[in-house]
Amino acid sequence: MESIYHALKKYLERGETVAMATIVETKGSTPREVGAKMLIHPLGQHVGTIGGGCGEADVIRAAMDVIQTGEPIHVRVDLTEEVSMQSMGVCGGVMDVYVERWAPNEGAS
Amino acid sequence: MMNVELLDALLASIDKQEPVALVTVTRSRKPEQVGRRCLIWLDRPRLGRLGLSRQQETWVEHAARDALRKGEHRLLRDEENALELFVEVQQRPPTLVIVGAGHIAAPLCEIATLCEFSVTVIDDRPLFANRERFPKAARVIAADIRQTVRELAMDENTYVVLVTRGHSLDVECLLEIIDRPLAYIGMIGSARRVRAVFELLHREQGMPREKLARVYAPIGLPIEAETPAEIAVAIMAEIINVRRGGQAISLAELGRKSHL
Repeated sequence: MESIYHALKKYLERGETVAMATIVETKGSTPREVGAKMLIHPLGQHVGTIGGGCGEADVIRAAMDVIQTGEPIHVRVDLTEEVSMQSMGVCGGVMDVYVERWAPNEGAS
Repeated sequence: MMNVELLDALLASIDKQEPVALVTVTRSRKPEQVGRRCLIWLDRPRLGRLGLSRQQETWVEHAARDALRKGEHRLLRDEENALELFVEVQQRPPTLVIVGAGHIAAPLCEIATLCEFSVTVIDDRPLFANRERFPKAARVIAADIRQTVRELAMDENTYVVLVTRGHSLDVECLLEIIDRPLAYIGMIGSARRVRAVFELLHREQGMPREKLARVYAPIGLPIEAETPAEIAVAIMAEIINVRRGGQAISLAELGRKSHL
């Protein structure tokens, strides 16, 4: 079965630098579970989802910086706003998303 | 060590369905530690260095192996050193074995694949058990049904759906697997038919009722499914309910309640 790591491998083999976002912690009701991952590609060829909506858009934006700088970051996706017509993705919870860079010729440690 | 090297080792284990954990330092007081990764297996030395203290390394290794055995991701925290690590366990996909490659099997294979199950289909009719009908199945086996069921490797991560062309064949297959530690056994059949068959098994073969109580028959959640595709949805919904510990009531449970 294809895992997100197969996709990651394909990008690295093509010499492309990408970012990987992982939900590492959740509180309350969230659109996806701990361990859900999304691969963010600089030209938008993303793989997987961490729940979609505005939260995911924030993570994609942050990932673009991570691809540039190589500095891993955390994005806190807060879905606890009051329910209204304007804010669509309101699940009621908070998730901590860790975003890191994967580049072809970089060391893991 | 390079990213690619670590990734290749990770992919090799994923492809072999061998338990492996990818451990990443996600926070630390020492910024240079953040982003370091290593792979931890149950039965061999790790790959990659985190560069922590010896004591911390031992702690991480124990915790990662415990997470591997339990099959769950884990966030490790050492408050004192503001250290945080994410242990990502590569989970083996659950397997769905569909016994009988008829009208329900085809949509069920589609839906189960969407839900990221690895699907095996068994039937003795090559006209039904073939790649054209089941393009997304991991395995399609055209061979003697009962013997294949008997010999197929199954474990607590396996879900079995008995939907062969005949009730007596379903029951024969059921008897082959009822003592195995499976995640789920579902068998098709009307409430009336299932009750009669279970009664017969109990009275004539001395099959304990508790044992039969683990079988989801009639199969599926009560959503008044009628077409093969709808029945497949009801079956898959029941499997998800069992897997995730949901609160839906199965047809089989409703049946047992109304006939106590």
